[in-house]
Amino acid sequence: MITLEPWMMLVVSMIIFCIGLLGVILRKNLLIMLMCVELMLNGVNLSFVAFSKMHQILDGHLTVLFVMTVAAAESAVGLGLVIALFRNLRTVDSDQIQMLRD
Amino acid sequence: METSSSLSFLLTLPLIGVLIAWVMPKAVQRLYAIFGSALILALTVYETSGLLFAKSADLAKTFVVDQKLSWVPEIGFSLSLRLDSVSAWFVVLNTLVALVAFSLRGVWYRKYPRLFTSFGFFLVFALNAAFLSTDLITFYLAYEAVFIPMIFMVGIWGENQKAASVLRFFIMSFLGSILMLVSIFYLVYLNHEASGVYSAQITDLIHFTATQDPVKLCWPFMGFFAAFAIKVPLVPFHGWLKDVYTNAPMPGTIWMSGILSKLGVIGMIRFVLPLFPQTAAMHQGWLVTLAAISIVYAALLAIRSNDGKSLLAYSSISHLGFVMLGIFSLKSNGITAAILLSVGHTLVSALLFFLYHQVEERQAELNLESPHGLAPLYPVLFVSLFVSVLASVSLPGTLNFGGEFLVLLNAYPVSALCTILSGLGVILGAVYMLKFYQQLGLGSDAQKPTSSGVITKDIGAYDLVLVLMLLSVIVYGGLQPAMFLKGN
Amino acid sequence: MNNTLIILLPLLGFFINGVWHLIASSKGKKVSPFASGTIATLAMAGSFALALTQFLKLRAMPVESRLIEETLFQWMKLGGLSVDFALRFDSLSAVFTLVITGVGTLIHLYSVGYMSDEENIAKYFSYLNFFCFMMLNLVLGATLPHVFLGWEGVGLASYLLIGFWYKEMPNVLAGQKAFIMNRIGDLGFLIAMFIGFKFAGTLDLLEIQKAVLSPHVVTVFGLLIFFACTGKSAQIPLFTWLPDAMAGPTPVSALIHAATMVTSGIYLLARLNPIIAASDIVLSTIAIVGGLTALVAAIIACFQSDLKKVLAYSTVSQLGFMFMACGVGAFQVGVFHVMTHAFFKALLFLAAGSVIHALHGEQNIFEMGGLRKKLPLTFITFTAGWAAILGLPPFSGFFSKDEIIYETLVSHHGNKIIFGLAIISAALTAFYMTRLYLLVFFGNARMDKKKFDHAHESPWVMGAPLAVLATLSLVGGWFGAPVSLDHGAAEVSEISPHLIMFVSVVIATLGAGLAFFKYSKNTKVEKTTDVFGIDRIYGVAFGRGLQKLSSGAAKYVEEWVVQRIIQVSAALVDLSGNMIKVLQVGSAQAYLMMIVLAVVAIFAWFFLGAGIYGNF
Repeated sequence: MITLEPWMMLVVSMIIFCIGLLGVILRKNLLIMLMCVELMLNGVNLSFVAFSKMHQILDGHLTVLFVMTVAAAESAVGLGLVIALFRNLRTVDSDQIQMLRD
Repeated sequence: METSSSLSFLLTLPLIGVLIAWVMPKAVQRLYAIFGSALILALTVYETSGLLFAKSADLAKTFVVDQKLSWVPEIGFSLSLRLDSVSAWFVVLNTLVALVAFSLRGVWYRKYPRLFTSFGFFLVFALNAAFLSTDLITFYLAYEAVFIPMIFMVGIWGENQKAASVLRFFIMSFLGSILMLVSIFYLVYLNHEASGVYSAQITDLIHFTATQDPVKLCWPFMGFFAAFAIKVPLVPFHGWLKDVYTNAPMPGTIWMSGILSKLGVIGMIRFVLPLFPQTAAMHQGWLVTLAAISIVYAALLAIRSNDGKSLLAYSSISHLGFVMLGIFSLKSNGITAAILLSVGHTLVSALLFFLYHQVEERQAELNLESPHGLAPLYPVLFVSLFVSVLASVSLPGTLNFGGEFLVLLNAYPVSALCTILSGLGVILGAVYMLKFYQQLGLGSDAQKPTSSGVITKDIGAYDLVLVLMLLSVIVYGGLQPAMFLKGN
Repeated sequence: MNNTLIILLPLLGFFINGVWHLIASSKGKKVSPFASGTIATLAMAGSFALALTQFLKLRAMPVESRLIEETLFQWMKLGGLSVDFALRFDSLSAVFTLVITGVGTLIHLYSVGYMSDEENIAKYFSYLNFFCFMMLNLVLGATLPHVFLGWEGVGLASYLLIGFWYKEMPNVLAGQKAFIMNRIGDLGFLIAMFIGFKFAGTLDLLEIQKAVLSPHVVTVFGLLIFFACTGKSAQIPLFTWLPDAMAGPTPVSALIHAATMVTSGIYLLARLNPIIAASDIVLSTIAIVGGLTALVAAIIACFQSDLKKVLAYSTVSQLGFMFMACGVGAFQVGVFHVMTHAFFKALLFLAAGSVIHALHGEQNIFEMGGLRKKLPLTFITFTAGWAAILGLPPFSGFFSKDEIIYETLVSHHGNKIIFGLAIISAALTAFYMTRLYLLVFFGNARMDKKKFDHAHESPWVMGAPLAVLATLSLVGGWFGAPVSLDHGAAEVSEISPHLIMFVSVVIATLGAGLAFFKYSKNTKVEKTTDVFGIDRIYGVAFGRGLQKLSSGAAKYVEEWVVQRIIQVSAALVDLSGNMIKVLQVGSAQAYLMMIVLAVVAIFAWFFLGAGIYGNF
């Protein structure tokens, strides 16, 4: 039986964070980019929990709760913005949306 | 030492003015601005009265106030301010200039009046901060903060080619500022290398630079010098000035020539000379020459100007050349005389621009190519204008004479040739200022304009009171310059 | 207290009339010329009375301590410089103060009549009082800056009064010319003060004379002071403003441009005489310049057709005589001539004013003639002035002018050249004055009949000053030289004063005789001739030259240097902008990529750096 060591959790969190980051950088669909940002946040959350367990301090857990609340609000706003953009521009492709450019 | 309340008071009061501007109705903005700035002026004079009216330099020293608030101590940033007899004068002048600028009627009270008033009060705040600060970083921040309202003022209420002139103003000034910022960081860095402490305090840095080789300090000296020479401005760094002065709205012009130019003056007195006394002495030859060239060259340009505003703008450069000459004499007497003269210059240039605006309100198309003959129509206005012109040509008995005379007296032992050259500026000054007055006021009879919306009355009672107040300071100062000569 | 009151009374008059004028003109009302003139004249008369009491007080004192000093307040103090606002009444100041207030009172009175039709009469009297205030400051001031205050102040008053009829631009420009040419001289004054302070450490008039100065400094100081005097006292090279200054009202010409202001140069030289006389170079410069001015101005005066211009050039010429006197070290004689000249030249101007008044503004002497019957009082008084300026005994000019001519020959510093200049100028003076006299008062009336018939004698306010001045022109010379300022003046000389006296009277008679032959019958109209063309040369050199210089500066320096500086700084900004612009691709993802790369780079720096430098 393999015990779940904190470092394993850290590795997983890093993988999740990197997947999210690559998604944000490479994908052009705003919706997917938004989901990838959530992924990054969750990766960080996981590392908080891991560190919290590692150091036996509950602060990490608290921070996670806090981050999750903010992330929920943020994704709500983000989704709202994406929908508004789609309504106005009929696209969610980040390359097509360049109204502020020159 | 007094309690430091007066310092925070001088800074918070204008900020409160900014806030109130936004709750006041648009229609009463001018009234509010005048009363607000008059109140601030009265309180400022009251707060600084110990310094302003002290019987002697020693007595004045007891009223000096220092204040230091740590800000980011790790890198040596602190908010340190000092109110002494030099900064006291500039602080008072600052609010006085604001009062004069606010008193003008014009498009700025019709288009975005709240913005205008709040910009004005913000300028008072930022300039006060700049005049009071003894920490280079604080000074730099305040110095830059002055730009913001100024640039918007020209951009929003300016005339003709305002965009181009704003751009020039910004580029030139910002170039100077960046050079100064680099020099500040360089000095702080060098000081840290030597003493292990981060500090931008002027006192610390003076201790440090005193131990350094003056040749090594040449570059930071140049950085500071460039910033202030552009600000004042000295020829040949004056390229931005004419367009900005002529295209700016009149209050902006008054602010710029009256008090923004004094940022350069106080910068030279407070920072350049104390930080680099030996470096400045090494370069004294061409510094003095540059000042003398400024005087004569700007006067030559003024002779040719056929636009009242640009003539006054060039005359402003010419007179500031005298101030610089006094400073570059590198003697405490010369510097004191330069402060006296800059007080006079502030008052006179504010007054001249103010009165010129009054004339413009009465006669739209003014150029100085032909005589307009307006004096008999508006006798009181033109008598005031004439007395201001006399002060500007530094007739004895005015504050400006005391300043120019003492500056030249102290500059003479330094460089006889440059003093004589500067003396030519006195003659040329008479040439262009008389032209200015004669072409506006004298000559064949003018008719009162009949079109509506143009003022046809002589100067109003309130404006007259303001003008008389300024003139009485100029004349009183001319007879009793001792009040301004308590040393720095 | 009295010294202060002497200067305060005209100041008070200035304020009363000035404020009155402003109030009246903004309400569109007219000021009564009589009331306004009375205030101004009373102010001057009071001042004169006070000056007289001070003078008597001074006379009662022992000779070597004749000085009444009053310090009002401290004016400037900075470092080693301390300048008090103080008034000193001594014998030299007394002469000038009495002339200024005395002649001033008469001219104020005369103005009440002469200017009675004037619209802005209160303004006129306020300016006149202001002038007297400044002039009194000039002669009573105890320090050089105080003298300079008066010096510039009278220049200002002169500017205002020359351009008094400001609706005609030529008048205004004449005033401007006077002010600026004076200012050119003032630069000499300023620099002299700087030198004086640098080497003597004081600007007090008494102390600076006691200071020990090297001969070199004394020479430069003296020359600069003299340069200042050439501006104010209309000597070569700065004399061309004075004839133009005749654009002002005639009483102004009498007071400012004949009797008082233009003599302030003599005052300054006499005041500083120990320093001036200490340098031979300075003295001979003064004498030569004075002599040349006397000659040149006298020659020009012979070719003028404007009544006032002849008198103006005559003033320049007479001032040259005064400078000659100073230049040969006979300062007291110069001051003596200032006094007599004030009497007879003011008289001549006022009489000329009376003629002009009678003819309603006519100034061309070829449009006059035969006026002696029409204007008897003017004629008689003018005759007194004419005799005085010619130097006929026993009129006042005889005493002072002869003494100058005598001194030019016998003084240590005098020589035959200066004597020759003086003699020729005296002959010419007789010539042009007689020419003027004949053309105005004798012969046929050349103006149209109506004008001649309308001509009438002036009212008593104008007649009385004429009579008083005529008396003074007659007896003024018997007072003798009012102050003694001995410097290398003649000791015993083998040349008899009587011989010189005889020669100069003969010379004057010759000049007058020549004019008599030429003008008593023949009334061929002569045009004003610009004999030397000096005005034209100056016009080109100063006026056009300055304009050229100014536009040159604007065209070349401004465009090629100053604008370049802006362009270069703008180009720098542009360049740095372009360089960084490459990174601004405008895609959020690209920016994010950069952020990630930067973070990786920083981490790499930390960890690898740890390996290399061992800092962590």
